[in-house]
Amino acid sequence: MTPEPRDSAIRISNLVKKYGDTVAVEDLSLSVRPGSMFGFLGPNGSGKSTTIGCLTGLLDPTAGHIEILGRSFSTESADLKRRMGVMPETLGLFDPLYAHEFLAFVGRMFGLDEATTRRRASELLEALDLSGTSKTLAEFSTGMRKRAAFAAAVIHSPDVLFLDEPFESIDPAGAALMKQWLRRFTDQGRTVFITSHVLETVERLCHEVAIITKPGKLVWQGDITVLANDGAIHCDGHEFRALEPLFLHLTGERYADLNWL
Amino acid sequence: MDFDRLGRLIALRYKLMWARTRTRNGKIALFFTGYLLFILVSVALWAGGLGAAVVAVRSGKAQLVADAALTGLYFQAVMMAVMLGFGMNTIFSDYELRRYPVRARERWLARHLIGMVDPFWLLVLALELGLAAGLYVLGAVSLAAAFFAVLVLFAGNYLLARFIGLALERLMQRKSGSIVAMAGIIALSLLPSTLGTMLRNNPERVAALLRVAAATPMFGAAATMTRSGAAAARGMALETAWLLAFLAALVALERRPAKAALAVAASALRWQGGCERAAAFLPPGPGGAPAPLVAHWLRFIIRNNRFRALYAMSLPLAAFLTFQLGRRGGERLFLAALSAMPLVGFLGSSRFAVNLFGYTGGGFRRLFLLPTDPAAPLRAASYAALLLGMPLVPVAVIAWIVLAPVPFDPRQVFMLLAAGFGGLFAFGGLGLWASILGPRRGNYYSGLGNDLSLAGNVVLIGWTLVSLMLPTVLHKTAPFTVAPENWWLAAAAVLVAALFYRVSLRSAGALFVARRERLLAVVEGRA
Repeated sequence: MTPEPRDSAIRISNLVKKYGDTVAVEDLSLSVRPGSMFGFLGPNGSGKSTTIGCLTGLLDPTAGHIEILGRSFSTESADLKRRMGVMPETLGLFDPLYAHEFLAFVGRMFGLDEATTRRRASELLEALDLSGTSKTLAEFSTGMRKRAAFAAAVIHSPDVLFLDEPFESIDPAGAALMKQWLRRFTDQGRTVFITSHVLETVERLCHEVAIITKPGKLVWQGDITVLANDGAIHCDGHEFRALEPLFLHLTGERYADLNWL
Repeated sequence: MDFDRLGRLIALRYKLMWARTRTRNGKIALFFTGYLLFILVSVALWAGGLGAAVVAVRSGKAQLVADAALTGLYFQAVMMAVMLGFGMNTIFSDYELRRYPVRARERWLARHLIGMVDPFWLLVLALELGLAAGLYVLGAVSLAAAFFAVLVLFAGNYLLARFIGLALERLMQRKSGSIVAMAGIIALSLLPSTLGTMLRNNPERVAALLRVAAATPMFGAAATMTRSGAAAARGMALETAWLLAFLAALVALERRPAKAALAVAASALRWQGGCERAAAFLPPGPGGAPAPLVAHWLRFIIRNNRFRALYAMSLPLAAFLTFQLGRRGGERLFLAALSAMPLVGFLGSSRFAVNLFGYTGGGFRRLFLLPTDPAAPLRAASYAALLLGMPLVPVAVIAWIVLAPVPFDPRQVFMLLAAGFGGLFAFGGLGLWASILGPRRGNYYSGLGNDLSLAGNVVLIGWTLVSLMLPTVLHKTAPFTVAPENWWLAAAAVLVAALFYRVSLRSAGALFVARRERLLAVVEGRA
């Protein structure tokens, strides 16, 4: 299904998430254009996974408003969830199942008919090199588990895809295939929301980036396609020709001279 | 041997325990554990071991009483460790300890010393030391000899429990091993009552049994504690020999590589099976759950080895309990069947029913990403546990009709069905609350041990006891309630149980959604 045109595929307004007195996300507002590959970056513990938790219905925001595909979103929004694909940080696999059983379960739950579920699951398993194995998900290697989680996120061909560290532990061939699919995905007007610590990958793949710092505070959002055309990003009076220096500038570089190391 | 590093590793186990007390629940648990342990150790030391010693000396049968006390304690400790998993947690695996600069022997020693200083084993030790101290105070023995005998016996007791636990774990990795293991455990747990009956009926066999028992480590320890000279030395030699034998057996078993997981032949993918067909029986609509979700839960539970073992044992166990509790026949037999019938329904899936999400690990998160009513996963999981128990109830009733040596009475049949289904519904309702209010992260693949939360244990053990005792209590206090003439009362009882389940499902559903972040933290091991 191709999503209908609108201003933003994801819109977050004044999102706050607190755990007791601890603030995990503080007044975060951002919007993501439809058909874009959006990189959501930040240091460890800055609130990226918490934000994705709120965006996907795992966590209840303490305050703020979330819109997905132009409609207000909460954990009860079953219709919207049907149009979203999520690859969570912990992968969300059921270890005793075989990969095809897991994909069939996800496909059926997302409303695919039986024939489509089987066809897509088989194709995904074949393409991601997960077919022909007699192992359960528990016996998969880390990379294979990640590929299985990716397959579960895309099997129903969602309009918005949330991927938390999708390429970590995946071999180069698998990662290249996934990137190729993601590019085609956005070419069709669908939206991808990615978190990653591999800035080179984000720079090559994403159209736009948001950078947050602790506690979940937006410090920069902008188009990064200029970097691919040898252009530069201007920020705080500095010029940045790559994402990494911009990220370090915004989140704070750390130096420690350990002369024994 | 680097004892300094060993000490640090053991200290790390207690630091990890202490770290848990940083949460509010941890502090409450610590307080109750500490309080209970203090009371238990005090009672065990003075009323148990010391009390036995007083009886032993005053009756003039010190060795006989010590034999009995130590034997009882020894077997209780092994049973509690193997069946309930008390004192079986060594915290670190050999694999985990390899990251530290310690040799193989040191890793082995560290793991088992950590196991031996578990509060459960300390309680066992306190009881045995109480006996030794009592015997010494009353002038029956030398303190050093008694304490040494206790320590050797205690170490052997731990090693034996560990050996049996590991042997069972290995057995359960084999095909049908879980059923064999569970049958063995249940047979062993029923052995004392069976043995007691046999000896009462055949008193001449007592002497033969005592001759065999004299060669056990418990009798050796009792001889060391209560005798002197050559008899004491023989006792010490005997229990030391057993200690070395258990040590050798455990080391040999640990060195033997575990059997690799059963290979499943790569064959054509099977997309649909019995789980999907069974789930399709459930009517859709409000209060229902999507069939694929129920099918998923059915598969998740059925694929568990421990479930398979308990499920396979449910009917034989109920039959045994019926004929054991009702051996006097007639009315007693029917009461016993009423007691055992609820177990048939809920026992197999009980571990899952009281901790519905504890074994899902990272998969739990997936349930909230599904495009369903957020409470649907709770309903689906509970329905799956119920669906698995239901078919066994009519099978058990048919077995009653065929095997019970009583005339066929349709009213009794109806009451047995009501007991089975009523017990299942009530347990299902209680399990919902235990799953939400007392979740615990468990290991789906663990073959043995008790990994339920306090709430889970209270529901499982409590409801089992209630089921077993209620018919007898009712027979004594209000006999008309279990009389076949009033069979319709059973219909009322099963309706009440079903209503309780229905109300629990609805109320717990709302609570499940409200507490999902807390549940996520527990199930994913962050709380």
